[in-house]
Amino acid sequence: NGAALSKVRGSQSGQDSTRWHVVRKFLGLISSHNIPVYLIDPLILGLVDKDIEQIRSSPDGPSPECKYFCTPRDFTTFALLDKTWKHEVGLFRTAEKMGFQWLKIINKDPRLDGMDDLSGMEIPLHYIFKLASHAIHLVVFYERSGNFLWHGPLRLRQHMDRKFVPFRKLHFGRYPGAYEKPELLRVSIDDLKVQIPKNPSSFLEEMSHSRFLECRYREARAFFQLYPDDASLDAVEFRKKAKSLLHLAALTLNSLGVKFWLSSGTCLGWYRQCNIIPHSKDVDLGIFIRDYKADIIPAFQKAGLPLKHKFGKVEDSLELSFQGEDDVKLDIFFFYEEDDHIWNGGTQAKSGKKFKYLFPKFTLCWTEFVELKVHVPCETLQYVEANYGPEWKVPVKTWDWKSSPSNVQDNGVWPIDEWDNVIQIY
Amino acid sequence: MDEWKPNPAVKPHKKRSWYLAWKYKLTNQRALRKLCQTGAVLFLLVTVIVNIKLILDTRRAAYEEEEESAQDYDDEMLNVEVPRHPVNNKKVLDVEVYSSRSKVYVAVDGTTVLEDEAREQGRGIHVIVLNQATGHVMAKRVFDTYSPHEDEAMVLFLNMVARGRILIFTIKDEGSFHLKETAKNVLKSLGSQVAPFLSWRDMWTFVGKKGGEVYGEKHAKSPALSTWGDPVLLKTEVHLTSVEDAECHWPDTELNRRRKRFCSKVEGYGSVCSCKDPTPIEFNPDPLKDNKVFNVPVAVIAGNRPNYLYRMLRSLLSAQGVNPQMITVFIDGYYEEPMDVVELFGLSGIQHTPISIKNARVSQHYKASLTATFNLFPDAKFAVVLEEDLDISVDFFSFLSQSIHLLEEDESLYCISAWNDQGYEHTAEDPSLLYRVETMPGLGWVLRKSLYKDELEPKWPTPEKLWDWDMWMRMPEQRKGRECIIPDISRSYHFGIVGLNMNGYFHEAYFKKHKFNTVPNVQLKNVESLRKENYETEIHRLLGEAEVLDHSKNPCEDSFVPDTEGRVYVMFIRMEQEADFTTWTQLAKCLHIWDLDVRGNHKGLWRLFRKKNHFLVVGVPSSPYSSKKPSSVTPIYMEPPAKEEGAVAVPAVAAAEQT
Repeated sequence: NGAALSKVRGSQSGQDSTRWHVVRKFLGLISSHNIPVYLIDPLILGLVDKDIEQIRSSPDGPSPECKYFCTPRDFTTFALLDKTWKHEVGLFRTAEKMGFQWLKIINKDPRLDGMDDLSGMEIPLHYIFKLASHAIHLVVFYERSGNFLWHGPLRLRQHMDRKFVPFRKLHFGRYPGAYEKPELLRVSIDDLKVQIPKNPSSFLEEMSHSRFLECRYREARAFFQLYPDDASLDAVEFRKKAKSLLHLAALTLNSLGVKFWLSSGTCLGWYRQCNIIPHSKDVDLGIFIRDYKADIIPAFQKAGLPLKHKFGKVEDSLELSFQGEDDVKLDIFFFYEEDDHIWNGGTQAKSGKKFKYLFPKFTLCWTEFVELKVHVPCETLQYVEANYGPEWKVPVKTWDWKSSPSNVQDNGVWPIDEWDNVIQIY
Repeated sequence: MDEWKPNPAVKPHKKRSWYLAWKYKLTNQRALRKLCQTGAVLFLLVTVIVNIKLILDTRRAAYEEEEESAQDYDDEMLNVEVPRHPVNNKKVLDVEVYSSRSKVYVAVDGTTVLEDEAREQGRGIHVIVLNQATGHVMAKRVFDTYSPHEDEAMVLFLNMVARGRILIFTIKDEGSFHLKETAKNVLKSLGSQVAPFLSWRDMWTFVGKKGGEVYGEKHAKSPALSTWGDPVLLKTEVHLTSVEDAECHWPDTELNRRRKRFCSKVEGYGSVCSCKDPTPIEFNPDPLKDNKVFNVPVAVIAGNRPNYLYRMLRSLLSAQGVNPQMITVFIDGYYEEPMDVVELFGLSGIQHTPISIKNARVSQHYKASLTATFNLFPDAKFAVVLEEDLDISVDFFSFLSQSIHLLEEDESLYCISAWNDQGYEHTAEDPSLLYRVETMPGLGWVLRKSLYKDELEPKWPTPEKLWDWDMWMRMPEQRKGRECIIPDISRSYHFGIVGLNMNGYFHEAYFKKHKFNTVPNVQLKNVESLRKENYETEIHRLLGEAEVLDHSKNPCEDSFVPDTEGRVYVMFIRMEQEADFTTWTQLAKCLHIWDLDVRGNHKGLWRLFRKKNHFLVVGVPSSPYSSKKPSSVTPIYMEPPAKEEGAVAVPAVAAAEQT
């Protein structure tokens, strides 16, 4: 069958069958070792997405032409879920017998990185199988706390062959990435049976902002050397409550599809000590005002978090505060984007004074925090420094939100006739 | 030999503080400490005197033999030494071995491979095994043959070493007191001429090939009871063989490549490295039907006891339903050999830089291991926690698979443990029976992730608190009245006799006779009755059917329980309030079960077996089950013996052995 097909492929004008052959061989290799991989190649998934209805409706149908795997490319990218295979050495021996050259990129296991002085075995992050002029890039995904998948960066070590493949052209590996666990679909494309993400377009969308930041565990350890952690019962209790509040908030906002990030003290806690700051007394989140939805307030109320106060309005300085369990409160600040900066507002209830907190522009990255996959500003240092000044590394117990932040500006006073609307306290 | 000068400046003998050593030992054993009183000092003095008398007797007997032969072998020693020039271009190793009271060392080609001059430790015979082709150190052991049974361990070890390996021996301090005939004969069969006559505080070094030539031997007699023999330094050469000769030729498979790597590196694992008939390293036990714990991670907590770890992993990987991919071995320290064992079995291992000391170090290692386990397996709701000195029952996973849903659903549960503290050969009977107990036995148990993440991890004792993790977990602040599920017959067996809180005597008294299930696929009965409310119904039913024993008899006597089988009996003991365990402790003592603290109770009720009858003990009036006591019956009261002599005897003897 393969031989017959290869003639067909070869005869097609303007197309290259090498890629198709290499992919077929690779799929044969991994299926002979019962290793379930799935296709994550963004270019192919992009093409597949256009025909997804047709592909779904005839998962086993023969294809009249080689549409996807015959476009000449240097790579085809597949994903492997680490826990689904046993790291058998046999795979590589078979690969060699089939004529593949292979390269393994290993590195530290980030799941142990946060832990004092544990050294596990290094884990494989990427494999590259090369045959003739085509290479298969196999990205290894790991499950992380927070119910998501993670892949590592691709970094070459000193002795490695830098010309093994054109590494710069790889679609994965520039940064580590975080993904939801995908639902898979078994399909036949170009007469090759492969698994693909059930919804290629949402996978591609996810891929476009999948960059992951690891917490700075080493710096956090150094911080705790200087300022030993508060292990009092109160601190333990607060952290526990703050963690469950954050989990509840994430669940609520995620189900509404509202993107949020760790802000203010919660962000500082992540960046400085990879934990919740025990004396911070609340949980702070940021949301872009363009992502605001009117459902947010009812959704939180339904989740058991009554609105405590609402300052400002959608057009200006909106800020919501919800009452969590035992005095732990959830503050949500809405961020307004300008050409060269981003800001959020503050309001003093008794005077109607407005404040403005300025931040340099930032994008969002994923991270893992208290067993959650959450966003933080990728440019975290600038964000934290804008908010807390150059001395952010030194813990401060007394904090005045109106004067302490280094990025606060006076922003006038709310007109008295708007007070009922822009200063609501429950 | 010419370079060697006897050292006349032997340090004057300083009597070691027996009392301090004993006291130190006890502070590590909180349970024992409680029982300890001033009487111990007296008892110890007696032990010391008995020991010294024994030593004197042994000396007297040994002297008579020695005096005849001592002269001869000193001369012969000169002849045994190998000439110092290489033959036939073969590679030659220079070996130096030093033996003295306070220091031993071994150097191979100028590299020190053993150096021990620490005070108060490393006493006995140090053994080093070298690869005959590469000269690499494959094993390093010390057998404290001043103490009983250590010579047996040495014999066992030497027998496991493959033929052809180079063996190096040296004594530090004292190595002859409990070096019995069998061990001496084994050393003699290796070519030692001195071994049969080794005596009190002699210094000795020996280098030879197993089943082959002798490369050198030196010996210095101790001139008097109170002093040590002069230090001896042996310098000799060893001819290396070819790698081919030193390796086995197993078929080239993935497993055998692992085996080869292991066997060329380490020694003392016996048949796993046998050329002809190597023991398997993959076990493929039957899978379990409907295995509810297949995806539960297993954390094996290990230190530097690679032989224990080897034995433990063998039994674990042979248990039905095991999933090797879920196993992680956590090694406390950067030790190579335990990691070699882990790799031999194709498992994953993680090393942990030691934090803090003693019990706190173990405790920090536990915390790191548990946190890492839940990081590595973020989906897991539970983790199985094992230690390196446990045998695992063939139905360990089957037992957990049948009971784990209780831990998920019943919030009044703290853990499931494979270990019954009171499950001895004579007190456990029914492999299908489970109990609820207020104590947390450990030794093979299941931890709920939410318990760890929400409660234990955030307030785990910090390194400066020198706490035992298990003692801490048993404290009411942590346990909060929750209970553990345990089997009547344990699914783990504690075989370790060298450990932080463990020594030979202690092990023999409290662990050796523990019952261990060997029956596969035991169907647990009535698992649902273990739920909080159901269990009360079950207990009331049991007490309702139980026959009240004759309370006028002595409960320690065998005749207290009739010669029947399969009946349920109940006895009532005095227990004034919840924490009054006076009578229970005495009863436990005479029944030869765990009596060092209170274990296995549920609301003032203990359940065990005597003569194959279920035997219930109710503490009156504290237990809510006291209402079942007929008014005619007076609860039995047993007084603790005056000055608790019985209790003190245990640590005193144990300490004496360790001194």
